[in-house]
Amino acid sequence: MHFVIISGAARTQSKSNTAKIIAAFCEGLHNCGNTSETWYLSDRKQWKSAKTAFEENENILFALPLYVENVPGIMLEFLAGLCAKEWPGTRISFLLQGGFPEVSQGRCCEEFLNTLPAQLGCGYGGTFIKGDMFGLSLLGEKIGAKLLQPFIEIGRQFGENGVFRPEIIEAYSTPEYLSEKQIRMANGPLRYVQRFAMRYFAKRLGCRTKLDAKPFCEKEE
Amino acid sequence: MRLLIINTLPKEHLLAEKAICRLEEKTAECKTFYIEDMKITPCIGCNACWLKTPGICAVKDDYEQILKAYLQYDVTVFISATALGFVDYKMKHVIDRILPMATMYTRIENGQTRHVPRYNKEFRFGLLYAGKGNQDYLTQWMNRFCLNFHGISLGAFPFEAWEEVCACIS
Repeated sequence: MHFVIISGAARTQSKSNTAKIIAAFCEGLHNCGNTSETWYLSDRKQWKSAKTAFEENENILFALPLYVENVPGIMLEFLAGLCAKEWPGTRISFLLQGGFPEVSQGRCCEEFLNTLPAQLGCGYGGTFIKGDMFGLSLLGEKIGAKLLQPFIEIGRQFGENGVFRPEIIEAYSTPEYLSEKQIRMANGPLRYVQRFAMRYFAKRLGCRTKLDAKPFCEKEE
Repeated sequence: MRLLIINTLPKEHLLAEKAICRLEEKTAECKTFYIEDMKITPCIGCNACWLKTPGICAVKDDYEQILKAYLQYDVTVFISATALGFVDYKMKHVIDRILPMATMYTRIENGQTRHVPRYNKEFRFGLLYAGKGNQDYLTQWMNRFCLNFHGISLGAFPFEAWEEVCACIS
């Protein structure tokens, strides 16, 4: 099968976590004999080709980051420019990634995504949600590769059927919520580790103020 | 009560103008941003507002005055067109740019991870929309959006139900 992958990420391809996920996903997808083409909506010069690819192909996958509980504005803008297909046979699937660890954070967006294929005259191949992706670019290549590893298998299994089967979702789209123990850790000792790590990354990026600075208050509270 | 209105519909939209007039009458102070008169570009996802210049967006356009206004006004009402059952992309572009109001730090609240808010302010956001929006979904989305920004949702209402928005803000 040939797949058209459209990245709805706002971040440029070279710095995009979604682009890294797509690359790993395609490795698995291609391993079982499929081909693909990928278009990045962060580059407006690609929009025309992405639209043509959507119109002329039958296996479409949108890969996107969760943005304020839904799809990024640029992806919504792109979707608004598509016409519903008049003939059957096209299937749209979604690969949704978020920074927070819980899959449940993506459910509100998923509910919207569920409605899109029918509105665009297409069938639905399911939505795969994966959280905890914020550190992909920040944590270095070794940890990044570990975070990306599951996407190779997810891509392979997706490539076999062209849909996100319930077995793939059950195996890899986890956790729905953090466990009690994870919550205790996150609000306890890990909170200080996280703050230390964030300050470290911020300093490396050239940050010169506190991460909880209040620039629009006359006096800091 | 100080009311902020952010309108992504054209100024010529009669229902929007009527609603804005009624809302202005109901409040002591009201400011309306007409997005068609402003340069507001989409969020580029650079994370600078969290990690490089905390609280300040790296995109230099007219958005900063909206960020400041969120803090200065008690209630914000978004006025938007709809597409695909949801707010249209113009409003989503505006709302995506709200990220500087949260910090990079997170904590777990009621079983889910949330960003720690940057300012000690409980936001109140409402949505008034034109077109065939899915009211149930828009209401759910507003609730989620407010939850993650430590705010209270006043709900999502079609123009025909603008009185309900008035009731929520009075």
